[in-house]
Amino acid sequence: MGYLKGFMDFNRKDQDVRDPIERIKSWEEYVIRFSDQDLKEQSSRCMDCGTPFCHTGAEWDGAYVGCPVNNFIPEWNELVSEENWEEALRRLEETNNFPEFTGRVCPAPCEGSCTLAINDDPVTIKSIENEIIERGFDNNWVEAKVPENRTGQHVAVVGSGPAGLAAADQLNEMGHRVTIFERDDRPGGLLMYGIPNMKLDKETVDRRIDVMKKSGIEFTCNTEVGVDITREELNREYDAVIMCTGAQDPRDTPIENRDSQGIHFAMEYLTAATEALETDPKDTPITAEGKKCYRNWWR
Amino acid sequence: MRLETDGKMMTGRDVVKAALLGAEEYGFSTAPMVILGCILMRACHLDTCPVGIATQNPELRKKFEGNADHVVNYMRFVAEEMREIMAKLGVRTLDELIGRTELLKVSHKKEAHPKARQLNLEPILHHTDAAWLSRERVHINEYNDGHLDKTVIIPKVETALERGEKVELDLPIENTNRTVGTTLGFEVSKRFGEEGLPEDTIDLRFTGSAGQSFGAFVPQGVTMRVKGDGNDYVGKGLSGGKIIFQPNLPSALHRMEEVIIGNVALFGATSGEAYINGGAGERFAVRNSGVHAVVEGVGDNGCEYMTGGRVAVLGGIGKNFAAGMSGGIAYIWASDEKEIKKKCNRELVLFERLDDHDEINELKEMLTKHVKYTGSKRAKHILNNWEASVKQFVKVIPEEYKAMLTKEKEQEKVVQ
Repeated sequence: MGYLKGFMDFNRKDQDVRDPIERIKSWEEYVIRFSDQDLKEQSSRCMDCGTPFCHTGAEWDGAYVGCPVNNFIPEWNELVSEENWEEALRRLEETNNFPEFTGRVCPAPCEGSCTLAINDDPVTIKSIENEIIERGFDNNWVEAKVPENRTGQHVAVVGSGPAGLAAADQLNEMGHRVTIFERDDRPGGLLMYGIPNMKLDKETVDRRIDVMKKSGIEFTCNTEVGVDITREELNREYDAVIMCTGAQDPRDTPIENRDSQGIHFAMEYLTAATEALETDPKDTPITAEGKKCYRNWWR
Repeated sequence: MRLETDGKMMTGRDVVKAALLGAEEYGFSTAPMVILGCILMRACHLDTCPVGIATQNPELRKKFEGNADHVVNYMRFVAEEMREIMAKLGVRTLDELIGRTELLKVSHKKEAHPKARQLNLEPILHHTDAAWLSRERVHINEYNDGHLDKTVIIPKVETALERGEKVELDLPIENTNRTVGTTLGFEVSKRFGEEGLPEDTIDLRFTGSAGQSFGAFVPQGVTMRVKGDGNDYVGKGLSGGKIIFQPNLPSALHRMEEVIIGNVALFGATSGEAYINGGAGERFAVRNSGVHAVVEGVGDNGCEYMTGGRVAVLGGIGKNFAAGMSGGIAYIWASDEKEIKKKCNRELVLFERLDDHDEINELKEMLTKHVKYTGSKRAKHILNNWEASVKQFVKVIPEEYKAMLTKEKEQEKVVQ
């Protein structure tokens, strides 16, 4: 809260998006970054509440309110409003392994529980978070976290989605040797083959994987546990095994004409779409499972 | 004596527990505040309260969604829960509950808690003797019922309230009579609106010691004279009324600067007049925005944060006079000019001599009235030697306020 009356003087402004006419020509990200002035104004809208909820991260009636990773939101809002980007990044990294992912695709329960949202529009927390990490990469402030000492323990992480990556990052930082197993050809799981490129550019995912590789994490792709390597083998060779495979069974929709041609599960479609993007983005199958995927397709 | 408790009183259960431990009054604050919409923002001092509670900013006030009825409802729930618990305990009234520590049981959690385990609860669970417990208690409602305004003044001034006829009343007053005149003022405002009544329509003459907040918020048309002295908050929020104090002593015994009214007189007063034949305590006329007052001496922090009105001090001042004063004018009759200037807080104000004809006349008028109402010897002396005395006044005026007055005058000239 660099400026006390920010919330009184400035209205919420969301990040601009590319013109749809332009957007259909490519699969690049469609959200445009804020200007310096926007960032200063938007971050100063944070009221530094006496009793904030944005960073609380509590389960309420089966849903999350507040940031599930307990980001120090009011703190880095203030740092951003003071244009102290490097310190803001350090505070953000304290709680969040991958702000560039959450800053883009997190549903932002922090904004839903922002105190300002009681009678106004919430602070643009998610956009600010994303900008902090992007400036971090722009200025080479994001460093590989190579531990000073190794513990001699070796951990296998099965699955390289957000959970697997975060677990690996934390364990590596603590000094354990970490090997990640991924059945697909590229690491990232949902980040790579679930979220479409226009929301989360695959280069952004690769950028993080590179940082992690530099910090000493090993990736073994094209290896499906249970097929290419057995659970017993893992148990034998590693001191600990973490299963981060996600929910692989899609939920079917038992409706009339469900068996018609061209109806696919979201992940089947999204994986195919991203793979196609890497090769030749010609055909796009139609999907119908979940609102978001439909929306993604529609774009 | 009454034992009051507060601190996280939230439920009827809390109140019953406090009562069993001996409490006789129960203070609530957080819970009713939250009911009015408080979100514990901790910005009360910043004028940025985002729910429009701790602010006067009209834009923020728009966001206030509180409703007094919700607080009433909450209190009803608290009372309801108390009744339920009291029924279980076989107790009919709250009075029967007070100090009955034998009805409390130490929770088994105490022994399980590493810190609580070490507490000795014996002293607070001690059973006091029965005479103390069963003594007669003064209830706040009874106190209100016996209020001087309700029991005596309002019934006697009915002709003034109904037909606007002039009424004079002589009454004794004691320092247990608090907020005398305030409820009367409410009755006047309710019937006659902001304008009130013609000057001196209701003329109340008291003899004795006035209790706290004498004449608080009294509107135009009500004059309140006291022969004696006053407690703190005399004329708090004065809204057009007139307040007069003169000592009830043989004049030989009375020294002019002897304090006859307490601290914080005329706090936040907006209009009206006050004549005090004697000294006032600390923080005289703080946040005054329009009252014309004459007093014969003030304590520390006089005229602090004043934004309007005129204050004439015919005597000494305490330190930090005129701190944060952004409007209005103070005139100090100074025997030692240097000493006066030293005691002022100079951050916002200038010192000047009186030279403007209209202004001198205005001051003279104030002092003349002071003599007329209170028989002040000092004011009489000043008026008798007016030519010389007027030069002994130090005029204290905020710099910005002076600039504003000058501008106004220029504009008036242009208009003419």
